[in-house]
Amino acid sequence: MKKVAWLAAAVLMMVSAGAMAGEPVVFEDPTGDDVGPGGYKYPTAAEYKAGSFDMTKVEISDKGDKVEISVTMKVRIEDPWDSKKWSPPGQGFSLQFIQVYVDKDHKAGSGHKDGLPGLNIRFAEDGRWEKAVLISPQPVSRAKMEVKMKAKDLAGDVIVPKAVSVKGKTLTVVVPKDELGGFDRAWGWQVVVQSNEGYPDGNDVLTRDVNEIEGDHRFGGGSDWDCDPQVLDILAGAGKGKDDEKKAQFEALKYTCAGSDMSKAKLAELPMLYVK
Amino acid sequence: MKRSGAVVWQLAGTLLAAAILLAGFPARADKKNFDMSAKLYTKWLYKNDDSQGVLWLGNPFWPDDIAGNNGVASEFELAFTGSVSRYVNAGAKIQSRFGGVWQDWWESGERKWEYEGEHNTSGDSLGINRAMYVKFRGFYVNLNPDVPVVDWFRVGSSDLAMFNAWTIGKVRYIDRDNARGVFAQADFADGLFGYHAGIIALPKLWVGPGWSTGIGDDKLEYPFFTQDWAYAARLDSMPIDWLKVSVVGSYTRDVEFDRWDPDAKGSLTSGCVDSMGDAIPGCTIDHAVSTYPRYENAVVTGEIEAQPGDIFYGHLLVGYSYSRLGEKFAENGVESNEGMFPVVYGDVGDLAARARAFAVDPFEIGLSLKLEGFYIGQDWTSIFGARREDDVLLTDGLIEGGQLPTLNLANEFVDFDEPWFESCVGWMGGTAILGYQWENLDIGVEGTYLTYATNGQGRDIDKKYPTFLYSEGYTDTDLYDYANVGDRGRDPRSVYKRDQDRQTLLGVLTGRYTFDFGLSVEAKAKYVRDDDWRKLHLDGSSKFYTDDDYLGDIVTGRLKVSMPVFSSLTVGIGGQIDRWDERNRSGDLSGGYGDYLTSKQKGFGVLTYRWGGASLNYYLEYVHKNQERPDELNLADQEWKVWRSKASFEVAW
Repeated sequence: MKKVAWLAAAVLMMVSAGAMAGEPVVFEDPTGDDVGPGGYKYPTAAEYKAGSFDMTKVEISDKGDKVEISVTMKVRIEDPWDSKKWSPPGQGFSLQFIQVYVDKDHKAGSGHKDGLPGLNIRFAEDGRWEKAVLISPQPVSRAKMEVKMKAKDLAGDVIVPKAVSVKGKTLTVVVPKDELGGFDRAWGWQVVVQSNEGYPDGNDVLTRDVNEIEGDHRFGGGSDWDCDPQVLDILAGAGKGKDDEKKAQFEALKYTCAGSDMSKAKLAELPMLYVK
Repeated sequence: MKRSGAVVWQLAGTLLAAAILLAGFPARADKKNFDMSAKLYTKWLYKNDDSQGVLWLGNPFWPDDIAGNNGVASEFELAFTGSVSRYVNAGAKIQSRFGGVWQDWWESGERKWEYEGEHNTSGDSLGINRAMYVKFRGFYVNLNPDVPVVDWFRVGSSDLAMFNAWTIGKVRYIDRDNARGVFAQADFADGLFGYHAGIIALPKLWVGPGWSTGIGDDKLEYPFFTQDWAYAARLDSMPIDWLKVSVVGSYTRDVEFDRWDPDAKGSLTSGCVDSMGDAIPGCTIDHAVSTYPRYENAVVTGEIEAQPGDIFYGHLLVGYSYSRLGEKFAENGVESNEGMFPVVYGDVGDLAARARAFAVDPFEIGLSLKLEGFYIGQDWTSIFGARREDDVLLTDGLIEGGQLPTLNLANEFVDFDEPWFESCVGWMGGTAILGYQWENLDIGVEGTYLTYATNGQGRDIDKKYPTFLYSEGYTDTDLYDYANVGDRGRDPRSVYKRDQDRQTLLGVLTGRYTFDFGLSVEAKAKYVRDDDWRKLHLDGSSKFYTDDDYLGDIVTGRLKVSMPVFSSLTVGIGGQIDRWDERNRSGDLSGGYGDYLTSKQKGFGVLTYRWGGASLNYYLEYVHKNQERPDELNLADQEWKVWRSKASFEVAW
């Protein structure tokens, strides 16, 4: 009888362990926080529909030798600029551009501190990133080339998945584990929502500017200097979708400008979120 | 010494100026209160024919000196934007006219093939379009006023994307800076309620009967176009997170002055006296000129969009349009222009409705379903609706570019590699699309049933309903020509026929797979069965008349393989085959009808290179077409062997 009990316990432990290994990492994000540090406004052109940059959920799943990352927005993902007719064809959506940052070791000083050019963000000292996954509507070749040209030092750690799946409100990419360097639920994650810009400014990697005043195709509510986080929505707080996480986001995205003297500007410092 | 002294002073002055610039005016990055951007675009277009120009299809009805299939031309655009204050920003562009080919070294705008009887060797010959002149375009001022009900006023240019394809559509890309008006918009309570409103100057070409607001109309000696406007408003409300309600309305009005008014230019009652010099009873001169509408079009649509959760999505659109034509001011082009006319000649109103329901991967196995039902009344009129680069129906349609609810389509000013758009006025039916998407695989299956609200017998196509002259046969968009010298089939705007009893079935299969090493394979197969029983009964007979029945069996297959060679270079090749078996494609009741068999083979190669902010696109294709035509109609078979290519090179900074 004892043997049966031990066997049952062992099976139960194995099943539990399996379930834990297969359980996705899920973060929720509150709605209505697609305003960056608190006051950002959408561009005025009709394509930028309310809620288009409002992230509500992130799910990261272990799929054997691959990792699947899904990011859900508040509203249905549309393709107002007909990306399938670009040359080469895009991915079936046009507006959003999402960057997923991964902290694999949670060690202070390890990894990259700065986000990709065009975001004006940094990461906390103990939450620097080792890998970044780009969910871009651009053809893979264009996205890779932009990174290679404008972020050469980081390019080795930036992954552009082969394809993006668009389903309703959700964008999904699949990343081979050998590119990501495995998968561990203990890793830290940050997901940054921006807008795809086919004609980016200077050294920006396909990101749309946030200016002081919104324009047809420019976000507003930021600064005309290059010191504001050019980011609409991020994960913040506990990542449970609670309303107080908005405040955590606004805190995380606080920044200080110092006119043209970028050495005195204080860029926003983003946290990584870890599954407890 | 003096000279040396001058040099020293000049040098000192230059240094001082530089010092002032460096010290007194801190450098500001481009995104600050003044921004300047530029774009340089070059296009090569070549074909194995003898036409010269850089545009496949130009203006069909006007002396056109840029269309042609052999040439290379460049275009330059300079855009300025700036913030006047926190509350005001502005922008403007200057852009060169596209069309002057590289061989046009000295074109300065004059048009002279000959000069005083001598051969012209001056270099000037083709006119201003070839002179690459710079034009003022795309200007605006945005004002964020201190009034609570308006977020932004705009004075100037807009692409009109804020309304919808049924009312006032987003203007086509080449017109993106041409629409001008006064606009207002606001959002309240975090999206609970918002609006867009605008007053837009009507383009004197294309929005109106005869594609104009009076110019070129034989009924008008003095066309009056500076009081022609469209008025539009859009109201949106999101009462709850997953529900959006929108109402869009537009009113387009083209007016002319009354030549019976004694104060009007060229008045027929000038001085209030008749041709005999006698006073006209009741006629008074008041130094005010009355205007009357030449054309009016009112369109309103209501939309409900629901997206509860991640799986289900629903969208319902209903609309009503009314078109009123002032026969006193508008020539009847249906009658006098061989049916080439963008509206029904008369006063008509009609309904449209479209319902969509999507289930997005409900079983989480990658399978999704899209359903759509639609009805667009035979008299639906959107004179200012979207003309191209939009699509209101899910179906691939008869031609794959898109379907739009207007007769005022724009399939001109295009190159051979651009999509085509067809009118869906009078279409009713349903579409189901089953999609499967899993990792790198994407498959779609479409089934569509179409019938037509335009079905009917004995329709008045002589004076009321425009046919666009060519209403028969499957349209060949690869080898289209305006004058139809190549027997290219139905005009995509031709939705009315004298006798029609038509239904269409469409089946489309698409697939795309991207291998992990980057190779992408795309395939498409399409079948169209198009039945038109045309005239159902000969006069006085109760028996069904079948000798004129049309049946089109259209099969198309396409395969494309592309591969990024490295991140900056992607290359691809592909091919397409078409087989169109059309019974009774053309002819008439008196002379009889004849069968056609068309086969087409197309091979193509593409190349895209992007590096350092420059992008190069190249497309090369060979089209072989064989059209077997009926001997009994004395029509010889035709063959085409066409090589053509297009390249573009663009930088923006």
